[in-house]
Amino acid sequence: MTKFTSRTGLSRRALLKGAASTAIAAGSTTLGAPMLWAQNIKDVTIRQFGTGVSNLNDVANKVKEDLGFTLEMTALDTDSVTQRAATQPNSFDIADIEYFICKKVWAAGNMQAMDTSKIANYDKIAGTFRSGLLTPTSTIAQGTAPHTVGFTSGPNGTDFVQEESGWMTLIPTIYNADTLGIRPDLIGRPINNWSELLNPEFKGKASILDISSIGIMDMAMVVESMGEYTYPDKGNMTKEEIDLTLGIFTEAKKNGQFRAFWKSFDESVNLMASGEVVIQSMWSPAITAVKSQGVPCVYQPLEEGYRSWGGGLGISAALSGLELDAAYEYINWYLSGWVGGYLMRQGYYSAVPETSKEFMTADEWGFWYEGKAAEGDILSPTGDTLAGAGEVRDGGAFLDRMGSVVCWNSVMDENQYMVRKWNEFIAA
Amino acid sequence: MEPRPRSFYVLSAFFALFVLFLYGPTLTIGVLSFQGEGGGLTFPMRGVSMYWFYDLFEQQAVGDIWGSFRRSIVLGLMVMVTTVVVSVMGGLAFRKKFAGSGILFYLIITALVIPSILVSLGVGLLFSQSGLNVHWSTSGFGAQLTWTLPFGLLIMFAVFNRFDKSFEEAARDLGASPWQTIRHVVLPIIAPSLIGVALFGFTLSYDEFARTLLTAGSYNTLPLEIYGMTTNVTSPVLYALGTLTTLFSLLIIGVFLALALVSKRRKARAGNDAGKAV
Amino acid sequence: MKKLLENRNVTGWLMVSPLAAVLLLFLVMPIVLIVIVSFWRATEFSIIPAFEWDNYAFLFGSPVTYTVFLNTFKYAFITWAFTLVIGFTVAYYLAFHIRSLTWQIALFLLCTIPFWTSNIIRMISWIPFLGRNGIANTTLMSWGVIDEPVEWLLFSDFAVILAFVHLYTLFMVVPIFNTMMRIDKSLIEAARDAGASGAQILWNVIIPLTKPGIMIGTIFVVTLVMGDFITVRFMSGSQSANVGRLISNDIALLQYPSASATAIVLLATVLITIGILLRFVDIRKEL
Repeated sequence: MTKFTSRTGLSRRALLKGAASTAIAAGSTTLGAPMLWAQNIKDVTIRQFGTGVSNLNDVANKVKEDLGFTLEMTALDTDSVTQRAATQPNSFDIADIEYFICKKVWAAGNMQAMDTSKIANYDKIAGTFRSGLLTPTSTIAQGTAPHTVGFTSGPNGTDFVQEESGWMTLIPTIYNADTLGIRPDLIGRPINNWSELLNPEFKGKASILDISSIGIMDMAMVVESMGEYTYPDKGNMTKEEIDLTLGIFTEAKKNGQFRAFWKSFDESVNLMASGEVVIQSMWSPAITAVKSQGVPCVYQPLEEGYRSWGGGLGISAALSGLELDAAYEYINWYLSGWVGGYLMRQGYYSAVPETSKEFMTADEWGFWYEGKAAEGDILSPTGDTLAGAGEVRDGGAFLDRMGSVVCWNSVMDENQYMVRKWNEFIAA
Repeated sequence: MEPRPRSFYVLSAFFALFVLFLYGPTLTIGVLSFQGEGGGLTFPMRGVSMYWFYDLFEQQAVGDIWGSFRRSIVLGLMVMVTTVVVSVMGGLAFRKKFAGSGILFYLIITALVIPSILVSLGVGLLFSQSGLNVHWSTSGFGAQLTWTLPFGLLIMFAVFNRFDKSFEEAARDLGASPWQTIRHVVLPIIAPSLIGVALFGFTLSYDEFARTLLTAGSYNTLPLEIYGMTTNVTSPVLYALGTLTTLFSLLIIGVFLALALVSKRRKARAGNDAGKAV
Repeated sequence: MKKLLENRNVTGWLMVSPLAAVLLLFLVMPIVLIVIVSFWRATEFSIIPAFEWDNYAFLFGSPVTYTVFLNTFKYAFITWAFTLVIGFTVAYYLAFHIRSLTWQIALFLLCTIPFWTSNIIRMISWIPFLGRNGIANTTLMSWGVIDEPVEWLLFSDFAVILAFVHLYTLFMVVPIFNTMMRIDKSLIEAARDAGASGAQILWNVIIPLTKPGIMIGTIFVVTLVMGDFITVRFMSGSQSANVGRLISNDIALLQYPSASATAIVLLATVLITIGILLRFVDIRKEL
């Protein structure tokens, strides 16, 4: 059984310097550059690590097919990814990490800034990552917005600058808007607010994730939704605010509100699919995983809005020469559409929607991006049926969802304090 | 054969329950590995199929099972051989009560009782602070040895405590050199325990997680890989892997026992070989 | 040269040199390093050499530390009690009721096979076993014992203890079995001849003689439980913590100095506990 059928039957590759990213239907695996280059590139191996979200073996296979070199992928959990980026610079060439992790580890100097003039599709990258504005009238959400940690001062910069300086820390590739996942069949009534997570009606059947940087944001959304407090900046809390937030949740925990906490994607899927939990923080692909097991599950749009995250590719500071060129080649290829289309068909948003569109059918584009009702069955890239005809994506169109983002996954100034308090919460 | 007391049956029942308890998860894994195509890691079962067993041999969406499996086997074998050799040498040495053996003994006990995460943290720090790269065959290997060596040594100590020195004396009286004594007298007698040590060493290494967590480097061993897969993959292919591993070990042990039975029978048939060497 | 080699100290050390090297490199030096790092400072992603007591001050000043250590001891004690009773019974059965060596080995191996499946996979499988819709609950409901699924089977202290007992009972069985096999059978015969009942033999002869085995088993079980962090995290659904969890959380967030400080305190606690237990048994003799 084939896991994925090629969309267009054509192979694509982007040219390295200057030229616009035209798709040349060549079907060959060489680069159209001098033969020597093409010969050498086949021996190059690029080591990538990241969370399982985008460390997909299908991508590695396509890279081998389209670009010729070998991509080795290692998938780890969020905390291990942070650790490796910060402490083991020689163990990777490409880091596929989230922007909040970038904020933590950029100053360690293990990654090098990327020259945006070498990125063919730079202008097509969504505004959220460059100026921070999705549309000219958007407001910038609270927290560690990607564009605030996306640019640095120069090729060896270890700081962040707030304008498009031409040197990026990460090239954005993927993002999404997160909310709570629910079991509509076991709840039986509409859910509209974040505060429902702490509703005593769901005592012993709720869960939240045990990753402090992300969990604290979900908690803040709940607290604000309950009307307990309004945060000036959820993404950068003071010590008192941290105490307040965790205090409310510790009390709920002692009252038995939570069935369990989850730390990995897999645990969240199991909790929901087995019915142990009916409402929890969840990630988009977990919803599709639960659905593909035939269990009803909804990624519930809530009144107060979404929490968002973004990820991108970074290059190790130790990379140079042929491997560095291969890395840029890879990144340009990544933005040229095939991967974007693959990710979007799982429910994420590609940072370069225009090129991804060419790798999706009109029906898929309509369903995933425009929020229209599906005309036929919507399949995942691995062939599972995710939605039937007539269904609409949870939350609707891209602009509705990303436009309702009110906060990003964040690293706060008081991060160490927050972590200690988080540990206390878990131990309580 | 004297008749069994009643307590035998009570205790047998207890033992049977105990074994059932031990096998609980294994049975669950066994049942769920026949999960239907659309099913997940928990009940309810969505159909029954061999799908996941086939899937195990395909490339996974995330993760590299066979590569890490290979690494785990290689590392396990490395650890096994090293543990056997070092344990035997250590066991022989400790019979002598040399100067400083007391301190070394307590170090061994410390290695046994130290929480695994400390070893992981310490070795990881050691390598990173001295600028070396962590790799499963160096730092991972060493970290696992701190766990398997104490076990191997304790077994060897127990064996040598019971060892009848008169065999060695007899060999010496007959003119054997120390090396010949070891090779022809000691090793054959302790051979069964060596197999035990080898088995222990391999098993402890193969399933080792905590100590290898920070010391494995870029390439994962099987437990680490499975752990990494649970962060994205959620399919019963893991259960299929678990069931196959269990069946595999049952097979190995079955073969083992059969060999033991055959060699026992053969020895009984051959009779006593005392005096034949003369 | 020959004289040198005949000196038992020299030959002794030559033979243990690989062992000593491994222990030095992978045990002693890491511990020393952890002690040093526990005095350092940390930022988001790096550690800075320094000498400050901050980490320890925070550790001893936080009420969480004490709660967590207490929790750890609680788990260790309860697990010990259960593994002792179960382990002793199983060892007794294997030592005194199974006649042939082959059968003893076979039954032992039967007990060890489940541990060849990866620990992680086995832990995942507890959910379908103990969960609301799991095997245990559905079986109990179909037998009519309960009406609603029992919640505390999973993600609770019960689940944690259950997993610990499952994992570590064998570590209690083996030393006790070992000691039992060394008991001179004629002692038991003598007791029976003197008119002792089965229970009296057990209490007055067998148990005192197996004390060393019990001690060794206790050392194994207690240290394993105190050092564990994965089982606790998983079986309690991350709701319970023990010291290992504190350390692993810190490590995950690159706070190596505070992780090291907690680790040193844990190591000290474990070593003190073992030291006390070792007072009751001379381990070198009793092996």
